This record gives sequence, C-alpha cells and structure tokens, in this order.
Amino acid sequence: MALPLIGLIVGISLGAFFPITIPVEYAKFMSVALLASLDSVFGGLRAGAEEKFDNTVFVTGFFTNALMAAGLVYIGEGLGIDLYYVALLAFGLRIFQNLAIIRRYFLRK
Amino acid sequence: MLKLRQGQVTIALVCVVLGFMLAVQFRTAQDIRSSIPFQRIEDLSQRLSQTEKERDTLLKEINELRQTTSVESATKESENIKMGAGVVAVRGTGLSITIDDSKRLSKPGENPNLYLIHDEDMLKVINELWAAGAEAISINGQRLIATSEIRCAGPTLSVNNARYSPPYEILVIGEPQTLENSLKMRGGVVETLQFWGIQVSLKKQEIVEVPAYKGAFRFEYAKPIKDGGK
Repeated sequence: MALPLIGLIVGISLGAFFPITIPVEYAKFMSVALLASLDSVFGGLRAGAEEKFDNTVFVTGFFTNALMAAGLVYIGEGLGIDLYYVALLAFGLRIFQNLAIIRRYFLRK
Repeated sequence: MLKLRQGQVTIALVCVVLGFMLAVQFRTAQDIRSSIPFQRIEDLSQRLSQTEKERDTLLKEINELRQTTSVESATKESENIKMGAGVVAVRGTGLSITIDDSKRLSKPGENPNLYLIHDEDMLKVINELWAAGAEAISINGQRLIATSEIRCAGPTLSVNNARYSPPYEILVIGEPQTLENSLKMRGGVVETLQFWGIQVSLKKQEIVEVPAYKGAFRFEYAKPIKDGGK
C-alpha cells in the first residue's frame, strides 16, 4: 500500500512543479479522463485486494479508459449530447462501488 | 491495512501519472475559478464609472439650479417655451435639404403626378426629421410650429398659409449625422423619392439658422384653464 501512495505523492509534486495548465476549453475532457483513471486505479486496488490483479489488463485499462472517456465526451460535444455527465455518473458510481469493496477488504484485514 | 500482494509497482507507476493529472487539473480548475470573477470585476467597474459619471452630471445640475435664482430660472423657462413655440429664431448644427421636382420625363400613359413633390412627400420627410430629434424646422423660411400645415395648393405647397413652389429648402436643427441617416435609411424616404426621380440633396452644416414664426397666434375657441394646475 505504501508504494502506490508514494507514487501518488511523487505524481502530485511533479504536477505541482511543472507549470502546465490545460486550456479552459479542454478542461472538461481532462476532468473526465481524470475520473476514468481514478476509477481504473481503484479498480486495480480492488483487483489487487481480491488477488485477481493482471498487469496488462490494468495498464491498458487505465490508458484506454481515460482516452476513451475523453474521446466520447468530445464526440458528444460534436453531436450536441452532454456525454460529459454520463461519463461522470458512470465513473462516479463505479468508483464508489470499488471503494465499498476495498473498504470491506480493509475491514476484514 | 490493506495488503496488496500483486501489482504494487504498476499501481505505483500509474499513481504517478494519476497524481500528475490531479495536480494539473487542480491548477486548471483554480485558474478557471479565478478568471470568471475577473470578468465580473471588469463589468462592475465599468458600471461603477458609468454611475459616477451620472452622479457628477446630476450634481452639476443641482449646483446650476441652486445658483440660478427663481427669476433666472423663470426666464430660462420662458426662453425654452418660446423656442418650443417657434417665435424666436434659433441657430445650431443641422442639415439643409433641397427638394426639387423630377427632371425625368414621364412616359406616355403614366401619371405625371408621380414625378412631382406632394404634400405627402414633404410630410414624410418632416415627420422623419422630427422622429430623428430635430429641434427646429423651417421650409423656405417658414418656421414650422404646432399649428403649421403642409398642404398642396394647386401647383404650390402651402406652409403657414404662404405658398411656395419648388425647389423647397428645408432647414433643420439637430444632430446632423442622425438626421441625415434617418432620411438616407435603406428603403427610407429619400430612397423612395429618388425612385421617382425627385431630386433630394442633403448638406450637413455647422451653423443652420432657422427663422422665427412671423405670423400671429389667434385663439378663437381655445381658452386656457386657469385653476386646477398647469
């Protein structure tokens, strides 16, 4: 558990260190991609806890989820459908589900 | 503590990416939040300066009114009323407009009346000028007042019971650009008149002098109401 946390801290400090900002019009896509990656990480943690972890599935899932989510939102923008909220809802639900499962493993020790 | 037996390294690497994204997104969101009120500040400051300007002019007006004694303000008021009635000559920026009959020959079988200036045309022009904020108008030296008529009288035009034949010269006092634009508007009066070949020429002028109404006022039926306010 310590290694992922260290990774997270390193990532945050890297992000804070590099003065990169996203143009306002792309912030929407970034937030969806972020949510997708968050979901993947929680999914990975859950799989790790369940001892069903698969390296390739996790890594590919992380990137494709993020890219696909951003892409879908982009397509939705073009079609005039607010897929943004759909993505938020879907990923949000899954994150909470995964969190609940992780919490159960956590409690079971 | 949750024990991760598998994929610690991978999850850690992915967490680096995730953390990076988090930080960037966090900063972007902050930028957005701080940039929206900025617009609002601009908007508000603009409104503030506008209101301040309004306040200043009102203050000036108050001072002016305080300084002028009641007698002075009465004379000012009577001056205003005289100007409105048209019994004093006035001067200011404006337009001089010359309107003449069409030089075009009417085609056989066509009504030659179409190529002449009628009272309607004049009324349209005058009405347009009043609407554009004209403050004083004269036609061939006849000041238009509240009871002025503009009417065809045979081949001539009757204004204030005086007859005039074309060309007619209209003098207007007002904002020259506004007056000109109101007449030259697309599909407006001038365009319609010019369609029939009637010659209209507009000239913006720095100083236009509109003469006073020279006739007398006769009130046979109307009597002022003294009591019960103005």
